[in-house]
Amino acid sequence: MATLKVNNLTKDFGNTKVLKQINLEVSDGEFIVLLGPSGCGKSTLLNMIAGLESVDEGEIIIDEYVVNRVEPKDRNIAMVFQSYALYPAMTVRNNVIFGLKQRKVSKEHIEKSLNRFSKMLQIDQLLDRKPAQLSGGQRQRVAMGRALVREPQIFLFDEPLSNLDAKLRVEMRHEINKLHEQLGTTMIYVTHDQVEAMSLATRIAVMNEGIIQQIGTPQEIYDQPNSIFVADFVGSPSINLVPGKFSVEKNQFFFIPKQMEENFKIPLKDYKFNNRPSEGQEVIFGFRPEHINLEDKSLKFQIELNLEPILIELTGYEQNITFDFMGHEVIGRLPRNINAQVGKAISLSLNLSEISIFDKISTNRI
Amino acid sequence: MQTLEFQNIKKIERSATRKRIFFRWLLFLMLGLFALYYIAPLYVMIVTSLKTMEEIRQGNLMSLPGEIIFDSWKTAWSGRGGIDAGNVFLRPFFWNSLKMVVPAVAISTFFGAMNGYALTKWRFKGDNLLFLAFLFGCFIPYQAILLPMSRTLGILGISNSISGLVLVHTVYGLSFTTLFFRNYYISIPDEMIKAARIDGAGFFKIFFKVLLPISSPIIVVTVIWQFTNIWNDFLFGSSFSFGEAAPIQVALNNMVLTSTSVKEYNVDMAAAFIAGIPTLIVYVLAGKYFIRGLTAGSVKG
Repeated sequence: MATLKVNNLTKDFGNTKVLKQINLEVSDGEFIVLLGPSGCGKSTLLNMIAGLESVDEGEIIIDEYVVNRVEPKDRNIAMVFQSYALYPAMTVRNNVIFGLKQRKVSKEHIEKSLNRFSKMLQIDQLLDRKPAQLSGGQRQRVAMGRALVREPQIFLFDEPLSNLDAKLRVEMRHEINKLHEQLGTTMIYVTHDQVEAMSLATRIAVMNEGIIQQIGTPQEIYDQPNSIFVADFVGSPSINLVPGKFSVEKNQFFFIPKQMEENFKIPLKDYKFNNRPSEGQEVIFGFRPEHINLEDKSLKFQIELNLEPILIELTGYEQNITFDFMGHEVIGRLPRNINAQVGKAISLSLNLSEISIFDKISTNRI
Repeated sequence: MQTLEFQNIKKIERSATRKRIFFRWLLFLMLGLFALYYIAPLYVMIVTSLKTMEEIRQGNLMSLPGEIIFDSWKTAWSGRGGIDAGNVFLRPFFWNSLKMVVPAVAISTFFGAMNGYALTKWRFKGDNLLFLAFLFGCFIPYQAILLPMSRTLGILGISNSISGLVLVHTVYGLSFTTLFFRNYYISIPDEMIKAARIDGAGFFKIFFKVLLPISSPIIVVTVIWQFTNIWNDFLFGSSFSFGEAAPIQVALNNMVLTSTSVKEYNVDMAAAFIAGIPTLIVYVLAGKYFIRGLTAGSVKG
């Protein structure tokens, strides 16, 4: 059980600044996911927390202790790697207990932990095999077993599911979730897969270019992204972003999409502004695909639209339809039972209670 | 129309088959000729070594011996006994060579592995520069280091000794062994080392427990390379040793050149063959690993 605190952490590789003043606070038992595109510094941050990369500036604090110069083995952490990083020459058993042996743990205790965790991970039948004789999913389990037997204070995961096929990935995701429920240990998990992040995290830290863009619960990240980057990175199909400008009329706020000849305005009645924009300010209007619905009068804040499908993609339980929205392509997520046809307009409503508005220049949420 | 086309295709198919068979035979014929060409010297060596001098003087280089006699092999290995005191024979020098080769190969391979490991898995400032320096060592011609090396051996007090030769070969071989191991270890994922560090293993533990057990392909390559080079070396042996401390290649040279009376071709051939046997054995035993190791990429794990 441990808390983790990262203060103003900075890291350079030569001339490239990989991390710029990172601050992060993780309370005991949390499942934090570091989410971001490749090269955003998330793996570097994890490696620094593990002690595998040196700290240029700032502090890493585990349970009140600054551990900047503490060796990885003394930080009481365990890590699971993307490539599994099993020791090829050792059997599964020796792979799993290698860390305990290095720590001179008693034989009985090693045997007990091995039994407990190999059963939990269903690798007890594989203990005498070599890693080369295992499938990808089994290797991943062994790698997790190696981390688990150590019973560390903090688990670090570095894209552990990226090498697995889609089906196995979902399975292992469930298991990691279950493990967290069972053990309640603090976990830090790096991924570029937003679905993984959403389904695992208690809080997500979205990173880009060495900066944490936003930290929050999955719901917060999804519903109130604080920048265009976060909004666009999270969610699939991605959020619809329509450029336009802001307008104020008689103390009422409106969004006017670009290239609109006629007087088409979207009222922003219920929108909670962080800071009020000025008349004519260029903004980006964002709404998620599921906010386009079939006409539904019961919605509190909505506008009605008549949109023409350009492309229809069936996903099985629903369909993603690309519409022409005043010259912009927007995607709507609609039930599959509606009979949509390319070129035949449909009456729809746009739910306005969960939209996001960003400043065009700063790309931040307004 | 259709049947006509079909027949055409049949014809093309048949002629293609014939062509393939022809070229297959041509290929085997060529390969066979090359094989004969390469094996001919060996054949001549063996046949000559088993002949008597009379037979050799008849001048039929390729003919089989009338009677197989191992006398010349005996002479080459252990001499004729007291009759000719100045006569050189190979037995003591064979052991000299073995006493030189085994430690030199073992030490240079071990430190090459250690260097390769440190250069790839414990990166430090200037590691690439250091590796470049090692690489440079591979290109220094033997002759260039003769003088400085003999001076060094003199200062260390181990000139004209087996241990001196072990040192020379270890130092000279280190560039190559480091290069081999470095290139092998660079293909092994760093994450494996990171995992071991988190597990609590240190520099040496990781080397011995994690890395060395998966290094057998490259160890075989290095051992063969080093063994062949050191066993066959003549220049260092003849420069830094003489008399009783000489390795076998030097002794072979002395034996062939110092024969006072008649040239005994059969004894010379047997001696040359004896000097070549250990490398042959190493190739036969580990040859297939050599090919495998040279082409070995990353370790699946």
